[in-house]
Amino acid sequence: MDDRRARFEAQVLPHLDAAYRFARWLLPAPGDADDVLQEAVLRAFRGFDTLRGSDAKAWLLAIVRNCHSTALKQQQRRAFVPLPEENDAQDGYAMTATTPDPENASMRRDEQRTLDRLIAALPEEHRTVLMLREIEEMDYRQIAQVTNVPIGTVMSRLARSRAALKARWLQEVEGEPRAMR
Amino acid sequence: MRCAESLRVQAFFDAEIDAVSAADIERHVEHCAECRALLQDLEQVRNVVRRGSGFARTSPQLRAQITRALDTQGGAATAAPEGTEYFSGTPPSDRTAVRKRSQLPGEFASRNWRVRPFWLGAMGGVGGTAVAATLAFLLFVPRPTNPLLDELVSAHGRSLMPAHLIEVVSTDRHTVKPWFAGHADVSPVVADFEPQGYRLVGGRADYVDHQRSAVVVYQHGAHVINVFSWAAGAGTLPDNVTRVGYHLAFWRQGDLEYCAVSDTGWEELLGLVRLLRDLGARDAGNSVPH
Repeated sequence: MDDRRARFEAQVLPHLDAAYRFARWLLPAPGDADDVLQEAVLRAFRGFDTLRGSDAKAWLLAIVRNCHSTALKQQQRRAFVPLPEENDAQDGYAMTATTPDPENASMRRDEQRTLDRLIAALPEEHRTVLMLREIEEMDYRQIAQVTNVPIGTVMSRLARSRAALKARWLQEVEGEPRAMR
Repeated sequence: MRCAESLRVQAFFDAEIDAVSAADIERHVEHCAECRALLQDLEQVRNVVRRGSGFARTSPQLRAQITRALDTQGGAATAAPEGTEYFSGTPPSDRTAVRKRSQLPGEFASRNWRVRPFWLGAMGGVGGTAVAATLAFLLFVPRPTNPLLDELVSAHGRSLMPAHLIEVVSTDRHTVKPWFAGHADVSPVVADFEPQGYRLVGGRADYVDHQRSAVVVYQHGAHVINVFSWAAGAGTLPDNVTRVGYHLAFWRQGDLEYCAVSDTGWEELLGLVRLLRDLGARDAGNSVPH
């Protein structure tokens, strides 16, 4: 393996899971994310020399977003974007189980399915900003870099997606206001 | 309808504002019921999303497929200008692309900056951000650069590759801590902080600063946090710093030096540091004979 490839594997590939998650939020339908991820990694490898000490994770995710836009443009003839099926929620290679308590596990699975559905129903630009903040724990500057919008837009999208998710969650799960736990 | 401060309150919640503005917001929240409720909502949404989201990972199959695709790229693609496409919006050349499964066209579609001259001017797009990030990087990284930082970042990066993370897999501190006795030169603070969101997943030995160090591995949501520890030397510890997207938090306790490394947010990383320091302080207090 040549040196460039070795540096790429050391600096960029640790972020493969984050890039995969991001692709899944862009493209909830199973399989689509795989293609976009692979294309993005290849592009990243070809453009690796532009990385130069900056934030490899934000850089890789920005390339995923670019690949997604490219794919989207080609698919614009399609009339709809499929939402994930119920049993797709666990698709993908699950992280180590985080619920040791089996009694809670099924309840939490239901809750998680509902949450996945509500998140998938958010507009893409809101969904991605929310997940980059809450799951990837990126700061506003990184999110702006990944999504290619100014920080002010990141802030307003974040506010709107949080408000929308809260409202829908209340409607679906709690059935009453102000009790999201 | 909305309080004019709501976006700043959100920024406060996301730890995006400086201490002075934070104090400002805290005062505002005291007498604005709407923003108090907003803070609660933000916290609730965060809890639900972080608790409920399945953290998908790349399957071994997809990882292998990507590795194979990279193999076909060879060392041929050393032409630097091609990479600039990501930041300039120039169509990429697809000569070297492997496109077996891809339906992605060669046309580079991300041109929406064209219809957004406002922020193109304001920010110069991602390229501008990249330049700014590079500048920030040059300005804030102490020079001459500390090789320890590079060592820690690459050790953390290595650990994220499959099967490199953990040598002793356990959520039990009574398994992890004794394991270090035989495998590392130091015995760090170890505990499971699952209720606080930092799950102990195991440990390993790694070389840092020319000595065997103990690494305790925690899982926070989708993120891995490596806590390195080694025998304290005579030199001063580096300040907390962000390197290539990873935060590094340093502290010294007893005769050990610690560094927590992760791509979590700062506040999330410092949360674990606080827990470990408190625990270390309590342990030290207990071991003092009365």
